[in-house]
Amino acid sequence: MLVKDYMTRHPILVDTSRRVVEAQRLMAESKVGHLPVVADGKRLLGMVSRAALSLRPEQLEGLSFWDLTDYMARLTVGRVMTPLSDIHTISPSSTLEEAADLMIAGHVTALPVVEEGGVVVGIITQTDLMVELRNLLGAIEPGWRVVLRVPDREGEFRKIMLALATSNWGVMAMGCVRSPRHPGFWDVLVKVRYCEREELVAELKKIAGQEIIDIRETTSYTER
Amino acid sequence: MTTSPGKMNEPVVRVQNLAIAYETHSGDVNAVRDVSFEIHRGETLGLVGESGCGKSTVAYGLVNYLGRNGKIVHGEIIFQGESLVGRSPEELRKLRGDQIAMVYQDPMTSLNPVLRVGQQMTEVLTVHRGISVDEARTRCVEMLRRVYMPDPEAVMGRYPHQISGGQQQRVVIAMALLNNPALLVMDEPTTALDVTVEAAVLDLVADLRRDFDTAILFISHNLGVVARVSSRVGVMYAGEMVEQAPVREIFAHPRHPYTQGLMRCVPRLGADKAGSVLYPIRGRVPAPDRLPPGCVFEPRCDYATEHCRQERPALRQISNRHMVSCLRAEHIRASEWQPTEDIIPLMPAADAAEPETILNVDGLRTYYKQSSGSPLDLIGLGKKRYVRAVDGVSFTIPQGKTLGVVGESGCGKSTLIKTLIGLEPMTGGAAQFLGFDLEKKASKRDMGLIRELQMVFQNPDATMNPSYSVGTQIERPLRRFKVVPPNQIHAEVVRLLRAVKLDEHYYDRRPRQLSGGEKQRVGIARAFAGRPDLVLCDEPVSALDVSVQAAVLNLLLEIQREQGTTMIFIAHDLSVVRFFSDYVAVMYLGQIVEIGPAEAIYAPPYHPYTESLLAAVPIPDPSVAQQHIRLEGSVPSPLNPPSGCRFHTRCPRRQLLPDGGAICEREVPPMQDAGDGHQIHCHIPLETLHDLEPVVQIAA
Ligand SMILES: Nc1ncnc2c1ncn2[C@@H]1O[C@H](COP(=O)(O)OP(=O)(O)O)[C@@H](O)[C@H]1O
Ligand code: SF4
Ligand code: SF4
Ligand SMILES: [Mg+2]
Repeated sequence: MLVKDYMTRHPILVDTSRRVVEAQRLMAESKVGHLPVVADGKRLLGMVSRAALSLRPEQLEGLSFWDLTDYMARLTVGRVMTPLSDIHTISPSSTLEEAADLMIAGHVTALPVVEEGGVVVGIITQTDLMVELRNLLGAIEPGWRVVLRVPDREGEFRKIMLALATSNWGVMAMGCVRSPRHPGFWDVLVKVRYCEREELVAELKKIAGQEIIDIRETTSYTER
Repeated sequence: MTTSPGKMNEPVVRVQNLAIAYETHSGDVNAVRDVSFEIHRGETLGLVGESGCGKSTVAYGLVNYLGRNGKIVHGEIIFQGESLVGRSPEELRKLRGDQIAMVYQDPMTSLNPVLRVGQQMTEVLTVHRGISVDEARTRCVEMLRRVYMPDPEAVMGRYPHQISGGQQQRVVIAMALLNNPALLVMDEPTTALDVTVEAAVLDLVADLRRDFDTAILFISHNLGVVARVSSRVGVMYAGEMVEQAPVREIFAHPRHPYTQGLMRCVPRLGADKAGSVLYPIRGRVPAPDRLPPGCVFEPRCDYATEHCRQERPALRQISNRHMVSCLRAEHIRASEWQPTEDIIPLMPAADAAEPETILNVDGLRTYYKQSSGSPLDLIGLGKKRYVRAVDGVSFTIPQGKTLGVVGESGCGKSTLIKTLIGLEPMTGGAAQFLGFDLEKKASKRDMGLIRELQMVFQNPDATMNPSYSVGTQIERPLRRFKVVPPNQIHAEVVRLLRAVKLDEHYYDRRPRQLSGGEKQRVGIARAFAGRPDLVLCDEPVSALDVSVQAAVLNLLLEIQREQGTTMIFIAHDLSVVRFFSDYVAVMYLGQIVEIGPAEAIYAPPYHPYTESLLAAVPIPDPSVAQQHIRLEGSVPSPLNPPSGCRFHTRCPRRQLLPDGGAICEREVPPMQDAGDGHQIHCHIPLETLHDLEPVVQIAA
């Protein structure tokens, strides 16, 4: 679960001399929202995004329609990109949570992935993180999705594991998070298959001090 | 990973209706017409087809590297969302450096002979990317390791000519990968390599696709190679894409008559012996300026109708992800195909009586003297060293039978037959042929012997005088050996031309006016002109296209049958000799390690070396399971062969013996007789060899 496993390799790149209108068309046609801007040797210089390329009103103040057309036609990527000094980059061997953290901190939805030397090797976006989140919590196969609320103390997780292990059911996904708005508890999600709802509930109910707060059957998701 | 987020992305490259022409003095030649395909990240598109069908033109056209007279006539090449057509040479050069890499058949076209490997590799990183020399060196060594280069540090210090062809090709691939290209174009990258090295390079290509998500266009005329590396396959014929489908689909259900024909031309190791009979496609690829009016394949097609002569079929979808350009694809059942009479090979009839032995080779040795390079050599006092190219080879061949000889290059196959024919002096041992002693060199042999013993070479050009007509070339042996009276020579040449399926129009042609297959036919006509008793063939078909290969092999069989000729047939690929040979000998470092009736060689028990060769052969059928056994390194130097069993430095099976096969390093392995003339030289007991899993499992 590292960046290199979930990033898109060989992202579409542009150089600084490219016209902004062309970069916009490229993003639209290729259905991407970000383009790393590079020099020779794929060395990162900056980023442009669809959102950032939409013009801000103050840039247009005082321009007539003809001036505007002319201005747009001459505007290059180099002039509008977010320069390297203002963006976060991430390395292929970083964790996905580090990527998420940088995106949250930087209010961005994509990060260029660079190797030492600043060479771009990929791009990782919110969507890639969503794929990971979905797989982590739901896997892509159908099964029982159970959430248990457990006290924040040693040995609780082990109880769940033991209950599942003795029954020989398949565990396809698992996640733990501090319970929102319930200090002192953790919510544990497990996704189980090869069993009936009743036997699963019966087995988990035997665990003292834990509570099933949600159980539902989920089907397969669109694979991507 | 089933959930790679890259999957739904736009393709790395999308080619649409691409047409490419070469300008010549007689007008534009349309070498590629309306070809379309796309390649996604982590996908390999294999392109197959006979030579001259436009595969390389497509590859070079992608990066507009078409040379002075080539041009894109129309169509689009969209790479990473943008058109490559009409880009400036400067922009394309940059793209080729940064995002697109190419690997060609001959690695030396990509290597600078006067720079050490390390220097050319590091420059890729230092010049372009501002990476420090030390860091660049570390990365290059890492990349060389990644392509399984033995001893990468040492290789960095060598010049290209100081490493083997297989290693040169790995350097080129490593160099291509240093830039982590989005698109990798490989044009016949393994064609010049031995099967064992080829197998390793193909494994590598498969790994790259997975680990680097590279989009790969892989061109090969070899269907087995394409089956091994491709995710999808495109078949090109006469400048057009005639079929395209996922790899398993196209090999299981080829829909175009041309694709079906190609598959019948190639031997399949997975099939039984009858399944390895080859059926050539009649005729040949039309020149781009002489295309038939309707379907381009019509003149060679068994299914053509009047409709096909009038309408040119377009590439269309026939089922999910399967495209074909044949008007009648829905009505053609490949399984119901019957060979027409002219292409059924006439196999020599099995005769009841045990034929006489015609050639008896006993302990044959051929050593090349090599100077030690010391100044003492000059005064004749240097220590002499010997390249033991053939070192104690024994076998017999009965009259009218064929012995196939296989092994990697450098195993002494060519030297063996050159010695028999008298081109190399015999160092020791004996060889008798029809009562003649083969000790003398060719120049000292008597005419009768020379006439009875002929040779067919791999490269027919090398033995043909370019200024003589075909007729003259075939006349010479007829006159020399006085095969027929002088007034019948012309008639005899015509008869021979017909026998090799060329007609009398070829009499006055010059060698340069012939295709490779035609030249080889002339070579065969000449070798058989004196009606020899023994013909030695050194890789006679390995330089030819698959359809021509099949035709030439069948031709040799027919002439052999007619004249009762005995043959020795060298091949580097075990699948080719199978249906062709009565006996097979496997050579390693100057010695025969296994010999026996052809069928016996293809099932356990086999010698560990034979087993490795079988595992390396690329099989044109992705549903056949083949064991993964890979030999490391190349054949050791015959100057100083390993002790004990010569194969011990590479043998993947010695672990089956106590102490990891310590005995193999000390003692020459015994000959074990598996019955029926099947002999294996190995320390592993026959029973153990017998119980090994077969290398090739035919899919149920
Ligand atoms: N004229 C020669 N002088 C020195 N060494 C030679 C010569 N010809 C071949 N060799 C060496 O003999 C060995 C066997 O070569 P060859 O008979 O060509 O094998 P193969 O046909 O299997 O390729 C190789 O190591 C090769 O380099
Ligand atoms: S269109 Fe006709 S000639 Fe062409 S491949 Fe199909 S059947 Fe043969
Ligand atoms: S004798 Fe030993 S090294 Fe040689 S082939 Fe047999 S097992 Fe391998
Ligand atoms: Mg040879």
